Amino acid sequence: MSIAGWQDALREVTGVAGVRGALIISAEDGLVIAETAMDDLATADVAALSAALVSRARRCTAALHATPPESVHLVGERGAVLAVAGPAPLWLVAVARDDAELGRLRLVLRDAAGALH
Amino acid sequence: MAFLELGERLRQRGQLAAAATVALAGLGHYPAVADAHDLLARIRADQGNDAGAIAAWHATLECDTGHLGARKGLAFIAFRSGEFALAERYLEAAAMGAPHDATILAALDRVRSVPRGSTEDAVRLADPASGVLLFDMQGMRLAGTVADSGDVSVADAVSADAAGLAREATRAARLLGLGAVRHIVLETADARIAVIPVRHDAALLLHRSASTPLGRLLALGGRAAHAAREWLERMQ
Repeated sequence: MSIAGWQDALREVTGVAGVRGALIISAEDGLVIAETAMDDLATADVAALSAALVSRARRCTAALHATPPESVHLVGERGAVLAVAGPAPLWLVAVARDDAELGRLRLVLRDAAGALH
Repeated sequence: MAFLELGERLRQRGQLAAAATVALAGLGHYPAVADAHDLLARIRADQGNDAGAIAAWHATLECDTGHLGARKGLAFIAFRSGEFALAERYLEAAAMGAPHDATILAALDRVRSVPRGSTEDAVRLADPASGVLLFDMQGMRLAGTVADSGDVSVADAVSADAAGLAREATRAARLLGLGAVRHIVLETADARIAVIPVRHDAALLLHRSASTPLGRLLALGGRAAHAAREWLERMQ
């Protein structure tokens, strides 16, 4: 997929109500590959922390003898981070407010991550 | 092994006493063969001997932890006894081993559609079949085990890694201004996993098949967290 295609995927994610930003990250090194986000969102921090979370999630599923995670959701009282695996090592990550429609966001992320190939 | 075929044929003809004799004789020679225990369990179930069937299916799982027939059989006995939550747990474990088995998925739908009383839905942390793993934030297992294994060494390893995940989630939530962590959900091709903080020093993990709706997983997690808090208070 082209860079323009990636930006389309990110715009689709940020089109969901309550989403503060969307990023494509490399889960191997925690770096931002592409992003569309509000100014106040520290996307480099989001990328690094999401990659660390994905790494921990992989260890957890390995201990369970399950297949590797395809998505990781971290939901807090004031917001959420949802990450969905794209073509390795890319992950599509969204940061959402607490009033976001997480069910819809999850589906949009899955579709958009599938389109990153 | 000819005795398996002969025993099964006798069972299907309704000659249950003869079938049991054949199965027991076979087990005398091959006590580590899971299918032999499974045959005996099915015969016991046909005889209406639920306790005997359960014991034989547990023996089956000791020989082969992933034996689908044993999980389905235990689910059948639990369902017949009105223990729907337990039946669901066994079917969930079976579905993790065979995520595309239509008979298991249909049975799961049937079990889930049964209205349940609050007592029947109670979370029993001490019961390995509950599929709830409670651990402290240092990664030490406090109670329970994981869905498809009664093996405590697996549960201990999962506790260590799940605590690491919970700590990482707490750090990320703090740095990103997300507030206190409500839950972490992992979706894999064959499973859905929820990690839910119970208190500042403990969390629990639920491991279910990929067929479990996310909302249901989190509802179960909420009930399990409540039970875990009470359990921790009783322990102190």
